[in-house]
Amino acid sequence: MFMIKRRHGKRLGIYVHVPFCASKCSYCDFYSYVPKSTRIYSAYVDALARHMASYKAACADYSPDTVYIGGGTPTVLPPEDFLRLIKAIKHNFRLQKDPEFTVEANPGTVDVATLSRYRRAGVNRLSMGLQSANKAELEALGRKHTPADFEKSFRAAREAKITNINIDLLYGIPYQTYRTFMNSLHFALRLKPEHISIYGLKIEEGTPLAASVASGAYPMPSDEMQFAMYRDAIDILAKNGYVQYEISNFARPGFECYHNIKYWRCDEYLGFGPGAHSYFNGYRFSFKRSISSYMRGVNYVSNEEMTDENEVIPLRERVGEYIMLRMRMTSGIDSREFFRLFGKDFTRTYGKKLERFVPGGYVKVNGGVYSFTPAGMFVSNYILSEVLSFNTDGTFMLD
Amino acid sequence: MTERQKKIRNFSIIAHIDHGKSTLADRIIEATHSVDEREMEEQLLDNMELERERGITIKAHAVRLEYKAADGETYIFNLIDTPGHVDFNYEVSRSLNACEGALLVVDATQGIQAQTLANAYLAADANLEIVPVINKIDLLSADVERVRADIEDVIGITAKGCPAVSAKTGLNINDVLDAIVRDIPPPSGDENAPLRCLIFDSYFNSYLGVVVFVRVIEGTLRPEDRIKMMSTGKEFDVVEVGYMKPLGLAKAEFLAAGDVGYITASIKDVADTRVGDTITTAEGGAKEPLPGFKASVPMVFAGIYPADGADYGDLRDALEKLQLNDAALHFEPETSAALGFGFRCGFLGLLHMEIIEERLEREFGLDLITTAPSVIYEIKKRDGRVVRIDNPTNFPPPDEIEVAREPIVRASIITPTEYIGGIMELCTDRRGVFHDMKYIDATRVELHYSLPLNEIIYDFFDALKSRSRGYASLDYEPEGYVDSRLVKLDILLNGDPVDALTFIVHEEKAYTRARKIVVKLKENIPRQLFEIPVQAAIGSRIIARETVKALRKDVLAKCYGGDITRKKKLLEKQKEGKKRMRRLGTVEVSPEAFMAVLKFDDE
Repeated sequence: MFMIKRRHGKRLGIYVHVPFCASKCSYCDFYSYVPKSTRIYSAYVDALARHMASYKAACADYSPDTVYIGGGTPTVLPPEDFLRLIKAIKHNFRLQKDPEFTVEANPGTVDVATLSRYRRAGVNRLSMGLQSANKAELEALGRKHTPADFEKSFRAAREAKITNINIDLLYGIPYQTYRTFMNSLHFALRLKPEHISIYGLKIEEGTPLAASVASGAYPMPSDEMQFAMYRDAIDILAKNGYVQYEISNFARPGFECYHNIKYWRCDEYLGFGPGAHSYFNGYRFSFKRSISSYMRGVNYVSNEEMTDENEVIPLRERVGEYIMLRMRMTSGIDSREFFRLFGKDFTRTYGKKLERFVPGGYVKVNGGVYSFTPAGMFVSNYILSEVLSFNTDGTFMLD
Repeated sequence: MTERQKKIRNFSIIAHIDHGKSTLADRIIEATHSVDEREMEEQLLDNMELERERGITIKAHAVRLEYKAADGETYIFNLIDTPGHVDFNYEVSRSLNACEGALLVVDATQGIQAQTLANAYLAADANLEIVPVINKIDLLSADVERVRADIEDVIGITAKGCPAVSAKTGLNINDVLDAIVRDIPPPSGDENAPLRCLIFDSYFNSYLGVVVFVRVIEGTLRPEDRIKMMSTGKEFDVVEVGYMKPLGLAKAEFLAAGDVGYITASIKDVADTRVGDTITTAEGGAKEPLPGFKASVPMVFAGIYPADGADYGDLRDALEKLQLNDAALHFEPETSAALGFGFRCGFLGLLHMEIIEERLEREFGLDLITTAPSVIYEIKKRDGRVVRIDNPTNFPPPDEIEVAREPIVRASIITPTEYIGGIMELCTDRRGVFHDMKYIDATRVELHYSLPLNEIIYDFFDALKSRSRGYASLDYEPEGYVDSRLVKLDILLNGDPVDALTFIVHEEKAYTRARKIVVKLKENIPRQLFEIPVQAAIGSRIIARETVKALRKDVLAKCYGGDITRKKKLLEKQKEGKKRMRRLGTVEVSPEAFMAVLKFDDE
């Protein structure tokens, strides 16, 4: 299902983080900021290009099949800088012939002419944040666009012949009710995107939203209500031809996001930019959430300066991560594949623990394949914390 | 009386809590130059970490000091420190029996408090010479003359010319030393009579075995003597005798009548040294033991269980060790369907229970679950049998009960007059029966109530303090049993009764208490995948119910652009929280739930 025609060479995902925004949303916990001067843009693209060049040799055996430029808001970059960034990616990596090439875009930052240029340069997928089609909810989130702005940008993308577009939606927003959520969902459906992501809003510590929520300023939908939104959204999306393939992701067949699937399949990916994460050559590592550390690190070739976490992932960790991530997908875990990868019997170990949740309707077992039902997905942390064990150093314990 | 005895003064310091007893002890030790000032730790006698933290003295300790008086003679002071909390009257009485006199410390700003009186009566009962010491005279609000008058009027001993000091600054401390020499009688007792020593304290030392603190009443004791514990008849060979110096044990050649000292005799088993027992020699020993110490009677009982069943053996060892230092602690094994193997423990009171729990956790590294405390109920059953119940689970069903009886105490509360209203309301609410009210002076009264003990053991002390801004003080003593309409309240989680949460309550209070408990439990039971009814029932009748809603949402919707580590950490944290949970049947409960049932807010 996820096979892509291969050029020779190992597959790889490339992620580029653009940590700039026109304004910061109240709930956002990603590394991003509103730059004081536009001069940073070209310097940052230079640094990214230099950083990618340093991986050229290490990636000689690889042929990346997905590229994902996320943020922040990548589309705040001036077109010249953005096109230079695409050129740098193509120059430094031997990309597959027709890779999935996604760019995150916020409403109001894109127009038909620019998007057409980006498409001609290789961009073939857009991910656009609608979050909600309700003004009060958008305001509480600190989003600067209206539903009408979103629609305009979406239509611009279509006019620029982008044929694969994702719309992001949120549930669990201040003021949100079952009805406003359904309105937002139908708003998105009317635009007929190829892909829809529906994320639960997580109130992250330290964000302005967390402070407002803690102060009791907002009415919040209950957990029960959020579950109803999620459960019914799955049905409605299915009726409209969108197949759920991960906890929060739905697509028309063939339009799943291959880049994100790499995260859940424990495939390799390389991230560039401050706060970006990589899983490459047996290591998981990330760069500090600081643009100055990142640029100094790149320009003076100091990994120490810029690296945040860096750990080898031994077998037992791969087993734990595999279970944790694979169970996010509706395809779940196939015990035969598990045995092929790790030489261990899943059915009699982790599988047995998962089976405890079958009677409650949280887990399905079908021909040696274990997966969550929608209800199970919604309490997946609870169930996974029953199934997985940890050593005192925080690593996974093998069953 | 021998010349040696004439130079000995055995005394205790008694006081209401926080009146400065330990500080005075420090100053006395300092003033006798028994310890280098450099070595002088604040409140030297309170050497348990816990005591220092809580600012109270839990255990009695003894120390031997030498004081060169103005008459040129050197006197031996044996200072026996005593605890000052209402739960520890037994320990006070135990220590007092080893003395001829007591310094009664009274705070010059607060005057006489409930335990000042209680302790003075204990000392008088033990025939001790009481020397009042008025403390904290450096404070602006000190009123020495009023306190002097109080002591004479209320306690009935002369306070004219008694020392007035500041233990904190050291002011007039020499007056205290002189009063000890002048007013406290030296010990008597025949050094050649058959040996009789009183055990007033002991502790376990891994090198020496049990170290026994004794007061020699008659006779002489030497190393290699064969001694006998008179209550058990067990015999041991004395290895070492000596004195408790401020900085440690110091060997001596002998201990004779009038001395306070220690004995080691390779005693390994903690059960062999019973505090209150009399030691004599195996051959030619005394015929009669000394009139015993006031026996320690536990009044409050609770089940203590290891959070991890594998720690049962460690818990038993720890309790045995604590019992050696704390004669008032009782325990015996019991099992609970909910909590597994543990011990039913008897305590002097709720504070005593909390201290034992903390020591078990802190000194022995144990993770514990404690059930709600209970008193001993007396049930006369319809078949004529009388049973004593210290575990609510064993309370018989209503149709088997002819009469249920519960212990009551006579409580004395001293409070500034402005809080009388609130305190009387509290006592009435706790089913108290008012006896009388006496004015101590124009601003303070002493209230007498009979109160059911089971109303006091939960949070009465806290409630009293909060209603009097900390000024009211409490003392109580057992007064016997009265008939009472008691019912057993069962707590059910998901329909199953949890034996460890069962408790006994007066019929009239059953409903309000049941409501509070189910609400508290609800707060302490994390959401699980199914709905959990939390119910309180008398027999088969449900009288309160709350519901822990089923967990609906516990999902990490977004995966943070490949940040796997973050997701892993979240999961790990969640798992960590789960490990602390205790599974009761199908339901997971946090350890705090058991504590929550113990504490009721006043309002």
